[in-house]
Amino acid sequence: MFMARSEYDRGINTFSPEGRLFQVEYSLEAIKLGSTAIGVATSEGVILGVEKRVTSTLLETSSVEKIVEIDRHIGCAMSGLQADARSMVEHARVECQSHSFNYNEPLGVESTTQAICDLALRFGEGAEGEETIMSRPFGVALLIAGHDENGPQLFHAEPSGTFYRYDAKAIGSGSEGAQAELQNEYHKSLTLEDAETLVLKTLKQVMEEKLDHKNVQLASVTKDKGFRIYTDEEMAEVVERLPAN
Amino acid sequence: MSAMFSQNPVMNGPNYSFSDAPRTNNGEFREHRFNPYSDNGGSTLAIAGADFCIMAGDTRHTSGYSINSRMAPKVFRIGGSNSDQSDATIALSVCGFAADGNALRDQLDTVCKIYRYRHGKPMSVHACAKRLSTILYNKRFFPYYTHAMLGGIDEEGKGAVYSYDPVGSYEREQCRAGGAAASLIMPFLDSNVNFKNQYVPGSGVGHELKERERHPLSRPVVETIVKDAFDGAVERHIEVGDNLQMMVITKDGIEEIMLPLKKD
Amino acid sequence: MDHRPQAWGRPRDDVYGAYDHSFMNTNSHPNQHTQQPLVTGTSVLAVKYKDGVVIAADNLGSYGSFARFTDVKRLHTFQDTSVVGFSGDISDMQYITRHLHQKSIEESYASSSANKKSRLSAANLHTYLSKMLYRRRSKMDPLWNHMLVVGFDDDEKPFVGSADLLGTTFTAPTLATGIGSMLAQPLLRTYAGTDEEAAERTKEEAIKVIQECMKVLFYRDARSQETYSLAVVSREGVEMKTSEKLENMSWAFADRIKGYGTQTV
Repeated sequence: MFMARSEYDRGINTFSPEGRLFQVEYSLEAIKLGSTAIGVATSEGVILGVEKRVTSTLLETSSVEKIVEIDRHIGCAMSGLQADARSMVEHARVECQSHSFNYNEPLGVESTTQAICDLALRFGEGAEGEETIMSRPFGVALLIAGHDENGPQLFHAEPSGTFYRYDAKAIGSGSEGAQAELQNEYHKSLTLEDAETLVLKTLKQVMEEKLDHKNVQLASVTKDKGFRIYTDEEMAEVVERLPAN
Repeated sequence: MSAMFSQNPVMNGPNYSFSDAPRTNNGEFREHRFNPYSDNGGSTLAIAGADFCIMAGDTRHTSGYSINSRMAPKVFRIGGSNSDQSDATIALSVCGFAADGNALRDQLDTVCKIYRYRHGKPMSVHACAKRLSTILYNKRFFPYYTHAMLGGIDEEGKGAVYSYDPVGSYEREQCRAGGAAASLIMPFLDSNVNFKNQYVPGSGVGHELKERERHPLSRPVVETIVKDAFDGAVERHIEVGDNLQMMVITKDGIEEIMLPLKKD
Repeated sequence: MDHRPQAWGRPRDDVYGAYDHSFMNTNSHPNQHTQQPLVTGTSVLAVKYKDGVVIAADNLGSYGSFARFTDVKRLHTFQDTSVVGFSGDISDMQYITRHLHQKSIEESYASSSANKKSRLSAANLHTYLSKMLYRRRSKMDPLWNHMLVVGFDDDEKPFVGSADLLGTTFTAPTLATGIGSMLAQPLLRTYAGTDEEAAERTKEEAIKVIQECMKVLFYRDARSQETYSLAVVSREGVEMKTSEKLENMSWAFADRIKGYGTQTV
């Protein structure tokens, strides 16, 4: 990681002789600095959870927004540079609205993820001088949760523009430990309630601060209720349910 | 120059060579413009059944009193995954200005194909119906001069018919006639499909009178209604005739039937 | 179909009332964004027979009622597989044929020398031309032509297609543009009303009916001429004759015509 990269990590869209795009790889590193975010998909719906990193007791915790709605049936959790996520989410929201305007049906979860990833590599200078929107790759990864005719789904979108579907996925600083935990605990017959507990339990293990209902946030996407961010009361209830240790 | 060829009586006074250029009420020159539209006649008809839908149209193509072609179909398969449209599940009928109709069909078909690539599934009639509406509305100020209709099977397996005006207003209906003989066929459908103005004998007087109950028609009945409707239209409308093209849309796909009509 | 090119693309008289041509008679009218045809060609005729297609058009370019150019070739061969016959504006025809010539050169680069056959069938060419016409009408700057495209379709079956200045297209076993759609088309339909009937006709029969129709048109179409072009498109290629002359005409009927002209008795 700290070897000399010569000139090849300066140019935003120049391949190194080994065939690597360093700036894109660095952007993947940026995510490892972000707060941990976890998503778990069950047959009843998808749960998203994030840690809020309350750096000061004076911080108004409700102003830390790391889970946002894209459409009624799709939401996403982010890790990394939050400001970058804004433009991605905005793009996804417009795509969803435009699709439902044109087709009178909600945009699919995979198509939404694809729409977000279409943005990912529009950095640097275009070959024909076309207008570019970014000077560097995105520094944020998203967990996109949604429900459509194919049931509940969870996608992970990277700054490189690739995306994969997961049953359970952790991103951010605590992702390695969290992913291992999810690997052990996940099974197909998880209920939504089990998933809430699993997400918080996993977050608890990788968080530096002590977990309480103020410094984590949960959201769910289900067939009936669509995307929903948990209220303080609901958060308190789930935190209450966690095994004490 | 062309004035000398005109065989029709002049309606706005003699065209003296020294006459002033025609002006509008505002005193500006009235410009005669190229008319980008024409009417190619023909008629279309769509009826939805319980689990099927029939889209029909005659195959005559006219300009004024001339028959250009006796075999110019105006019902098309839309959104198949290959060029022969063998796996299409939606049919579009267009009536009016044929060039616009073809352009509209090509555009909608392209949209359906791109949708399939992007979302990995064929488009539903419901989605296609809304998209057709936005396509038409996008050309609000230079409209596709067509009466379009879309037929297919909805997500619940029921037959669906959507009908449009040239600028994209649309509605899902049980049946609709379009084109030159629409005004001849529609009352026939009101009576035979929607049982309009038919009451149960002896069911009461005034507001007590019960309407004859509507029920979904079977496929043979609908086919007969379509044939009768066109036989009637052919008899009374000069722009309708030659052949009857019927597309029967079921859950198993689209079946196309071609039947003769009077050629006079 | 109105046979006068001047009336094409204009509102129908029987629907909208007579067209007001008076604006053409002044010398102070505004600039016209759109156009009218100037030098025009009259009807084009085409019929299918069992092994191909026969197409014909006379060699006259009229300037209004003035027989201005008497040797205008209105049939154009494309890649030795298709023929396009033009009626309507001659300058627009020349624009289109120049374009088609360019297209043909590009196409011949693409097809290998071993396989001499054109990749573009007449049906393809018909689609291409109709899109070109539709695009121009949509820009309100039409190419003032009505053309017939003949040759073979992708299934190697004889093909006759029509495309006009509005982008309207249709195909039929026999076709005629302009006044030919009124005078010749009924005669052509007795020769072959359907594709099945056309598939039973020979080349000689096809040529004969076309010659008869050209004669009828010369008798009655005031914008026609005695010399004409006739092309036969078969699987062997295009056989183009550009200086055919109408034969065995009889004008005996002429002095029995009464009711107009300078005739007083």
